[in-house]
Parts: sequence; structure tokens; C-alpha cells
Amino acid sequence: VPLTDRPIDTATLLAEVAARSRGAAVLFLGTVRDRHAGREVSGIAYSAYESMAARILAAIERELESEASDLAVRIVHRLGEIAAGEASIAIAAASPRRDAAFTAARQALERVKREAPIWKLERYTDGTEGWREEEPLAAPVR
Amino acid sequence: MRIRVVAFATAAEALGAAEQTLEVAPGARLGDLRATLVARWPALAPRLATLALAVDGELARDDRALADGCEVALLPPVSGG
Repeated sequence: VPLTDRPIDTATLLAEVAARSRGAAVLFLGTVRDRHAGREVSGIAYSAYESMAARILAAIERELESEASDLAVRIVHRLGEIAAGEASIAIAAASPRRDAAFTAARQALERVKREAPIWKLERYTDGTEGWREEEPLAAPVR
Repeated sequence: MRIRVVAFATAAEALGAAEQTLEVAPGARLGDLRATLVARWPALAPRLATLALAVDGELARDDRALADGCEVALLPPVSGG
């Protein structure tokens, strides 16, 4: 399940990509930073076009897996209110060799940031809030 | 034709709602809907250059034909991760 409104269970995510043939497993966590552009951040409210985002995250997993032999990739993005210090995204990649696992985890993150319809509303410690708009939504480059 | 418009983040703020229903002429394309949207919600105008549109969950260009009952999503620049 690529989207969740609960804290991300990283042990389960790693178990989903584990296999005896895969000697390298990488876990990437993106966590909410406590400051942005000089302002103190208490947390982020993440929202998504959920049906499309779920389909895109699954497509990224599938496409990355098709590019290397015996590679497994799982992506989970958390939605809703997330406090500073907690994880908003987790990516697990496992492969027989480390290069493919590191590369896939990195590519998965960069693709999520460009292709998934997900938005941050930053909440600041002074009680104000602001939308973060980072990259115009892009179709996958194939 | 009746089109369901769903909007997110700053686009939802510009529409004043996460969801709206619009009536468009038979044969209308996505570009026609875009013009209708801006006419009705001028706050969208400055955002158009970076606003992506999806039809039934797929990114689409202005020449995409619309169908009665389809869902058009207004997707501002994203910030996932």
C-alpha cells in the first residue's frame, strides 16, 4: 500500500523487499525538517490526489524493478499531519548487488518528487502556514 | 456535458473548494475547460503556467477530448517526498 495516514512501518517495508538472493538492502527515510528558509517548522500536512498518486508510486516501483535483475523496490508515502522529526516517505530497495539497490532508491525518490501529485502545507511554530510548491508535475520520462 | 473538477493545494484555495461541477458544451476539449475555469475563478489565472491538468487520473494536454462525467484534476507544482 503506497499511501498511509499512519506512521511508516519500516521493518515491514524492508521485509517486503528482502530475499536470500538479495545481498544489499537500502532503506531511505525522508523526515520532516524542523526549519525551512529560516523559519521554525512544527510539522507538515501532506495531501495528495490519492487515486493518481497511488497508481504513480506503484508504476515507479514496477518500472525501476524492470530495469535491473532481481531488484525489489517499495515506496510508502505518509499523508496527513506529520510532526517535525517523523518520516514522510520511506523507500526500500534490495538487489543482489549494492549499486543497483542504492541507484534504485535514489531514482525512486527523485521520481516521486517530480511525478506524484502530493503537496506539503508547512506549519510554523508561530501558528502560520504555507504551501510549498516545488516542481511542476511532470509525466514520466521514458 | 457535466465535468467533475477536483482541485488540490493552492488550486483548491483558488476555487474555494476541493470539488466543483462544471457544465461544458458537447465536444469540449480540456483547453476549453481551462478557459471556463479561469473565467469563473480568476484567482487561477496567475497559476495557469505551472498548473498541470489530469483527466480521469492521467496527465493530459489541452487537445484532450472530454467526456460527460469525467473527472478533471487541477494539480499545482508538487512537493512530495
